[in-house]
Amino acid sequence: MQATAIGTVAVTIILLGSFLYIRAAFVHLGNDVFSQIEISTYVDTSATTAQEDRIRTALARDPRVLSVTFVPKRQGLAQLRARMKGQIDTSLLTENPLPDKFRVRVRDAQEVPAVAASIQKLPHVQNVEYGQQVVQRLLQLASLTRRVGIAVIVLFVLVAGIIISNTIRLTVFARRREISIMQLVGATNMYIRMPFICEGLLAGLAGAAAAVGVLALARASLVPKIELALPWLQVNAVSVDVWALVLQLFAVGAAVGVVASWIAVGRYLRT
Amino acid sequence: MISLRGVSLVYPNGVRALDGVSLEIGKGEFVFLVGHSGTGKSSLLRLLYREMAPTNGQILVDGIRVDRLAHRRVPALRRHLGVVFQDYKLLTDKTVWENVAFALQVTGAHTRDVQRQVPRALDLVGLAHKSRMYPNELSGGEQQRTAIARALVNNPKLLLCDEPSGNLDPANTTEIMELLRRINLKGTTVVVATHNQAVVDRMRRRVVRLDNGRVITDEERGYYFLGLGQDQILSG
Repeated sequence: MQATAIGTVAVTIILLGSFLYIRAAFVHLGNDVFSQIEISTYVDTSATTAQEDRIRTALARDPRVLSVTFVPKRQGLAQLRARMKGQIDTSLLTENPLPDKFRVRVRDAQEVPAVAASIQKLPHVQNVEYGQQVVQRLLQLASLTRRVGIAVIVLFVLVAGIIISNTIRLTVFARRREISIMQLVGATNMYIRMPFICEGLLAGLAGAAAAVGVLALARASLVPKIELALPWLQVNAVSVDVWALVLQLFAVGAAVGVVASWIAVGRYLRT
Repeated sequence: MISLRGVSLVYPNGVRALDGVSLEIGKGEFVFLVGHSGTGKSSLLRLLYREMAPTNGQILVDGIRVDRLAHRRVPALRRHLGVVFQDYKLLTDKTVWENVAFALQVTGAHTRDVQRQVPRALDLVGLAHKSRMYPNELSGGEQQRTAIARALVNNPKLLLCDEPSGNLDPANTTEIMELLRRINLKGTTVVVATHNQAVVDRMRRRVVRLDNGRVITDEERGYYFLGLGQDQILSG
């Protein structure tokens, strides 16, 4: 019976923990990605140096802009060559097809779309890119997980609570003879309750511990695999506050254990 | 010590266990409650330790209005009484010592009080040498004596016994009743509900007879059967 309760809490907390972890990872990823966003401003290839300078000044003057880096076409080509090494033989090019570009970094990631729009309006700016698709997707995902998160957490906790409660009720029922003898001898309800509350607490903590163990193992074994499959994701760089999460999971386990057993015993004692 | 006035008890299923019972039991008395099964003896005792509340009437135990007692005060009441049952009601996973100690521990007594009073109670019932044994290792008589020790460990003024010899053979019964007599001599009020004729006739104490939930006789030195009270000798 104990094993069932502990197992249930463990599974629930594993799910909860994974969920929280992934959610936190997404948030961090989102933040990291945001902070890395650069607006690539491609200059019209026919623009003169003076006109390019005017673009640079305009960019620098924008208070929302953090930094502006100029990448002349020659440098751009060299970078391209390095990235595409082996895939394309760039010596076949007779002239440099790349435009000059400015890499613009913004102070507040939320402003990126607005800044990009205003840059587009500058004269001789051919193209402005900042990975719109990715950013939009991430923003949507972040807000979705936030909303779904609360509902899911509540559901998980409820389920774990109900199952622990039922397990404790079975235990209470099995020990009803002892309980009635205790009552006849003059034990107060609190006195009778205490051992059961402790059991519930331990079940909750044990479940949480098991869950944390499993999650840690999962993380250790899965992360390398994810890194191989999706190198751009950079999972390890995601600095989720693990200890805070572990603490939260234990707290949840303990709380669920105590509350569920309190209710379970209380129901019996009141009859 | 105990005072019942116009006490009635009707069970939820409609059975009238007690009907207008009035009874006074003084301190230090030894009283038998007799009658067929189902005449209300056990019900009366249950009202005294507040396992149930009466439908009507007033009950006073050592000055406490038991009929009007709030649920949360019931444990305190029970700690001031001793109750002994036909089926002993011992905790099977605890030793003799632990069973008796338990009654003290629930009152929040200090360990040194427990260490002091448990042996005293065990000595009283003559089970000190078996304090480490478990109920299933004891005879019926020994288990009942353990239960009595537990009932007494808090030095209650009142001891309620609901068919204490019900599961015991005559020899054990005699032992137990002798024990109760001695306890009574020390000043504890003892009320015994029983349908053991031999015991009642041998001890010749106050006998309160119940029938259909009513007190029909109340004799000082009574016999089990009606019509044999007041020192009348059974002839033939």
